[in-house]
Amino acid sequence: MPPLLNLFAARTAASTVRISAAPRRSVLAGASKSHSALSQRRWNSSGSDGKKEAEEAQRAATSMPHVSEEAAEVSRIMEKEKRCDGVPATPELEQGTMVSEILSRDKEAAKHAPKVFQDQIRKAQSGSRSFSTSARRGQLEEQKPSGGVPAGSKADDAAHAAFVQSMITQVTEDAAAAKQELAPGLKFPAPETLPRTENYRSRYEPLLEQFTKLIMRDGKLGIAEKNMYAVLDHLRTSPPPNINPRRPLLTDLPAPQLPLNPVKYLTIIVDSVAPLIKNKPMKGLVGGGASVPVPVPLVERQRRRAAIKWIIDASDKRRDTKFAQRLANELVAVAEGRGGVWDKRDLVYKVGIQGRALLGQKPKTRVIRM
Amino acid sequence: MVSPFCWGCLTRLRPTPRTLLPSPSSVSRGPAFHTSAVFHAGLRPGSGRGATAVSKFRQPSNASMKKRKKPVEKSRPPPVGERKAIRKRIVLSNPNALEVEGLQELSEETMVDSRLHGTALALPVPMLDQLRAVQAFKPNQGWSIFRRPCTILRQETLQLGRFFDKVSGDGEHKGPFVKKKIISGPSKSGKSVLLLQAMAMGFIKKWVVFTIPEAQELVSATSSYAPLSEEQPHLYVQNEATAALLSRTVVANKAVLSKLRVSQDHPALSAVTPGMTLEGLANLGVQDPASAWTVFQALWGELTATAAAPGLEKNFTPRPPILVTVDGLGHWMTESKYRDAEFKLVHSHDLVLVRHFLRLLKPGGDQPALPNGGALLYATSTTMNPPSVYAFDLILKRAAARAAGFKFNDPRFPRAEAYSNIDPRVLEALTSQKSKHAQEKKLGHQVLGGVTHDEARGFMEYFARSGLLQETISDEWVSEKWTLAGGGVIGELERIGRRLRVAA
Repeated sequence: MPPLLNLFAARTAASTVRISAAPRRSVLAGASKSHSALSQRRWNSSGSDGKKEAEEAQRAATSMPHVSEEAAEVSRIMEKEKRCDGVPATPELEQGTMVSEILSRDKEAAKHAPKVFQDQIRKAQSGSRSFSTSARRGQLEEQKPSGGVPAGSKADDAAHAAFVQSMITQVTEDAAAAKQELAPGLKFPAPETLPRTENYRSRYEPLLEQFTKLIMRDGKLGIAEKNMYAVLDHLRTSPPPNINPRRPLLTDLPAPQLPLNPVKYLTIIVDSVAPLIKNKPMKGLVGGGASVPVPVPLVERQRRRAAIKWIIDASDKRRDTKFAQRLANELVAVAEGRGGVWDKRDLVYKVGIQGRALLGQKPKTRVIRM
Repeated sequence: MVSPFCWGCLTRLRPTPRTLLPSPSSVSRGPAFHTSAVFHAGLRPGSGRGATAVSKFRQPSNASMKKRKKPVEKSRPPPVGERKAIRKRIVLSNPNALEVEGLQELSEETMVDSRLHGTALALPVPMLDQLRAVQAFKPNQGWSIFRRPCTILRQETLQLGRFFDKVSGDGEHKGPFVKKKIISGPSKSGKSVLLLQAMAMGFIKKWVVFTIPEAQELVSATSSYAPLSEEQPHLYVQNEATAALLSRTVVANKAVLSKLRVSQDHPALSAVTPGMTLEGLANLGVQDPASAWTVFQALWGELTATAAAPGLEKNFTPRPPILVTVDGLGHWMTESKYRDAEFKLVHSHDLVLVRHFLRLLKPGGDQPALPNGGALLYATSTTMNPPSVYAFDLILKRAAARAAGFKFNDPRFPRAEAYSNIDPRVLEALTSQKSKHAQEKKLGHQVLGGVTHDEARGFMEYFARSGLLQETISDEWVSEKWTLAGGGVIGELERIGRRLRVAA
């Protein structure tokens, strides 16, 4: 048996205490066993025999019983084990009731229940989880030997919670005091943390800067900025988009609120059509020297770049007089789910899905022997 | 001729210089019995690869690369006038912007209400057509991002409102007062918008409003011109521009002009009938640009009349005050782009329309400029690249000095520099003299600067309440932006207000 974590100790115990009428080997029982074994394998950090047991369980799951055996089982369920009124047996009758249910009904039995159960019930009543969602605590637990249940963990929890609580109250009190009284030597309260755009080096939003530089031609940034300004003004004044439910924008904001903040609107449009992957042609994965596209994940800036490029290319096909007008119209079209940009992304995803079988393979290189 | 070396022993055979010979490694090794350099063989014409390397004697050779054809532009240029229409388009409403609650309109009461100082006042919707007709809105102003056009009631606006009230009101101080003012100031300080506010007040008070929205257009040689008459060949009339001015005036002042009737004799105009309205009179000039200047003179005579001509008394009603606004006065202070018969540049003051409006500005005439009262507001402009005219700058400096209390004899009073080649016509046209009429004051000069902190706060709150500025407006924040805007220059404040910042 591999060493058990406290979380699974309770669960496995519950499954073993399950009252069964007769220990028969059935299809269902086999499946459930393999399932629990699998879950154990997944959760165990280490263990020399864990792997072996998992393999065993796998074999048990894959080797189905003989056809006649299965038929006999089915007929037994449906016909033989009927109650006196002829209704087929329920799983409850056949497999028994969960101990926890019995214990919740019967207070007397709960007193004599195993300690694990009692702990569990008490924890459920106290309202706190039996496990922690805090990353820091998880790390601390990992450092401990993964042997048995940590003794006195509840007392530790309480102490820790109290400590955190006191820390929070301390900080809030300090903040309130600082708000009322200025630090010595200050005439005005210290400014809040400045937004990123207040620094002159990064005065524009990252997306805005990236977009502007991608519409720049011949190094003329001023003209690109002028065009960007015209685009933003168009987004601000054009009617709010009718969003296509098949191609929704990645935002919770209702459509009429989008034009009031054109930079956000632009960001949402670009992020909504941005592809998550690109398909990189790789040679040597299949025979014959053919190159096949293999999906490669992109970071945010690369994703946006791909989307902006598509949008600019699509806007070149429009027939409006000015570039800014063409671009702005294309952006609104994308927001409304029209235009070829969405199709381009769909195509990328389709090719990516086809190519994902080849993920992780290494190209076969021919070894030249001298 | 004797050979220089002995054929028997070859002792004096000079070796070929090393530089002419190829290095042994670079030369392909041929048969070893040649005494000449091997690589010359490859360069002989007609011998394969190296043939092209030698330029032929007296043959044209083309060293440059073959030029590729330029890709043919497939898209057609946009239709004529479309780009200009986009450039000049004026949008006055943004349906996406929020409606500001409790917004008050500019009216007779609000324009003099000092409690509303620093708040935004909406322009009444029926008046927008009038303001559009007189081209009060400029394309580079930020009307297009708000729900409806509004202006800030600043200190200068309130002063103007009180003057309008004084001229048109029915209090004891009522009288045909005339205000003559040149408005100047730094770029984006709100000069044109102040003119717009004056026009709006004029429409509210039922004045007659004449505007020159772009002074430059009269002198930039973009419309037709002709000598005025045989007698005055050095004066030039611009018929198209005058007709356009009449058209603007008729459309914007229809309500006022349609109630006034012709009460003077106009022998030069045969089409004028005695009972005609002034609207009909002005329309004569719009329909026939050739007579536009005569019609304009007749209309001006009618509006400045204080009494009817004999025999036409029944048609006379008291004439309303007149507001004249000119935007971009600096362009009128130098030579125009028009040419005379000797191909010399025509001075702007020789164009009769310009001359007319400048003569109004000059105080000290025998006749009062506007006998029925009114205002002459002439603003300078910085957006249209105005010419730098020393005489005009000097006049503005003198006006400022006079306002500061310096007399002409004072040594600190600004004087023209020696050898500055000053334009005497400009100096003469605007030099202020003592007015002969009690209700007419000297030519004033107003320098428009930044708005105050309170006005800036009102402006920023208007942005925030329209949903365009997503910030918390506090005194500190406004003060910070006021400083950033060059001390409250309102155009810069607007730029800050529409600057976009995505909240994290």
